[in-house]
Amino acid sequence: MNKRVVITGIGAVTPLGIGTAKLYDRLECGDCAVQPMPEWNKYKGLASRVAAVAPLEDEKTISRKIRRSMGRLSIFAAQAAKQAIIDAGIDDAFLIGGRLGCVAGSTMGSAGSITEVYEMMIPEYDLSIMPSTKFFQCVSHTAAMNVAQYLGISGIVVATSAACASGTQAIGFGYDMIRCGRQIAMLCGGAEEVHPMVTGSFDVLYATSTKYNDQASSTPRPFDKDRDGIVCGEGSGMLVLEEYEHARNRGAKIYGEIIGYSTCSSSSHISQSNAGTMSRCMRQAMDMAGIEPKDVDYINAHATATIQGDVEEAAAIFDVFGSDTPVSSLKGAIGHTLGASGPIELIATLIMIEKNRIIATRNLETIDPQCKMIKHVQKNTDAKIDIFLKNNFAFGNINAAILCRRID
Amino acid sequence: MGNMNRQQIEEWTNEVFEEEFEISAEKLKPDAQIFSDLGLDSLDIVDLIVALQKKFNVTIRGDKRVVEIRSLEDLYNYLEDIGRENSGDI
Repeated sequence: MNKRVVITGIGAVTPLGIGTAKLYDRLECGDCAVQPMPEWNKYKGLASRVAAVAPLEDEKTISRKIRRSMGRLSIFAAQAAKQAIIDAGIDDAFLIGGRLGCVAGSTMGSAGSITEVYEMMIPEYDLSIMPSTKFFQCVSHTAAMNVAQYLGISGIVVATSAACASGTQAIGFGYDMIRCGRQIAMLCGGAEEVHPMVTGSFDVLYATSTKYNDQASSTPRPFDKDRDGIVCGEGSGMLVLEEYEHARNRGAKIYGEIIGYSTCSSSSHISQSNAGTMSRCMRQAMDMAGIEPKDVDYINAHATATIQGDVEEAAAIFDVFGSDTPVSSLKGAIGHTLGASGPIELIATLIMIEKNRIIATRNLETIDPQCKMIKHVQKNTDAKIDIFLKNNFAFGNINAAILCRRID
Repeated sequence: MGNMNRQQIEEWTNEVFEEEFEISAEKLKPDAQIFSDLGLDSLDIVDLIVALQKKFNVTIRGDKRVVEIRSLEDLYNYLEDIGRENSGDI
């Protein structure tokens, strides 16, 4: 019989600051973390000059020998992970004992470190000047590996890498590991870093916001008729998932229970999202949970503010839920933190259910007629959320959706 | 580095340990053992070689004498030898 899985710890470093309380408080205030990036003016062919930058602080509290293998995103992940473990009240014996694992995702290894490697290597084609630990900052499993090294985790350590769905797939993987009894707890999440290489990868596809370089806080604009694309962000969100009885027996605070998860894909197009596949993903998560669309009280959308993606997601949500379920996106406030977006936004939503509030979509002023068929939340609203859905959709038409419910 | 005196070699070497490995100056005594006293490990030795090559503008990677170095004093002596070899003194 499958185990029940609950969330007992949360930690975050986001463009709105360090810590989950800072994240939620500034979302509640309607703040926006998007800022101009004048240092990017040197790049030709980069049209988007805005980003949501997270604070990199106190990294030297991580010992040099642990920190030397970390690029920027791994430092964010380590700090968020430490917060989550402390928040969950996990003791050292359990942390290192092998019954707790770690799964963390990112779109790629540290873009900053990868750039440094090529800057060293290319001019003279000389590898003898390469520091020993650069490789560990560049690898795809850099976040998971470094978090596990930092905290002494000896259970399952896995990395997910599916661009913007990386962090949500990490949570889904952790959920499956506990459900099937492989681990008692899993530290799960994602991390990402702002870099012109990352923004540029969307920029060349005309998927970034470029009209608001001089009005940074006005973008991104999920579901708005004047939206013009994504704004890349950075940071990390990490959650402690735990087997329900274990959490209850130790008296842990429970933020919510994961009751359904789905990840699926479509070969329809490498970059263009697809409403039919999104709908399927959401339905599969509900099938797993044994609930109906009417049981879902709130949807935290992926909604990155691309022209096409938001229309597809609105169509998918309408197809599954109709027009009555409240929907909002947090990307107007924190940008698109890519592989970290699922965990960060899931954490914010868990705090929403605790506060009985729904945070509105920042910068959604005039709803795009093509997105108007769903129920948008344009002002922060009091609401009791018992069950919510968190969506993430990624390049490769890879979708992920997680269903959580309140446990009183 | 051919014209460097012993004092300059020691100062520059110590700067590498302070900057690259965040080791405080008071620990950098000539008899300090690089592994046991200063806490470097095998990965750090790779970075130490890279940093020393850059600092002194020499090539020491692959030099078999490096594996014999145990203490800071051994390292100063080795770099002094390298300096003499580069300046044609020996």
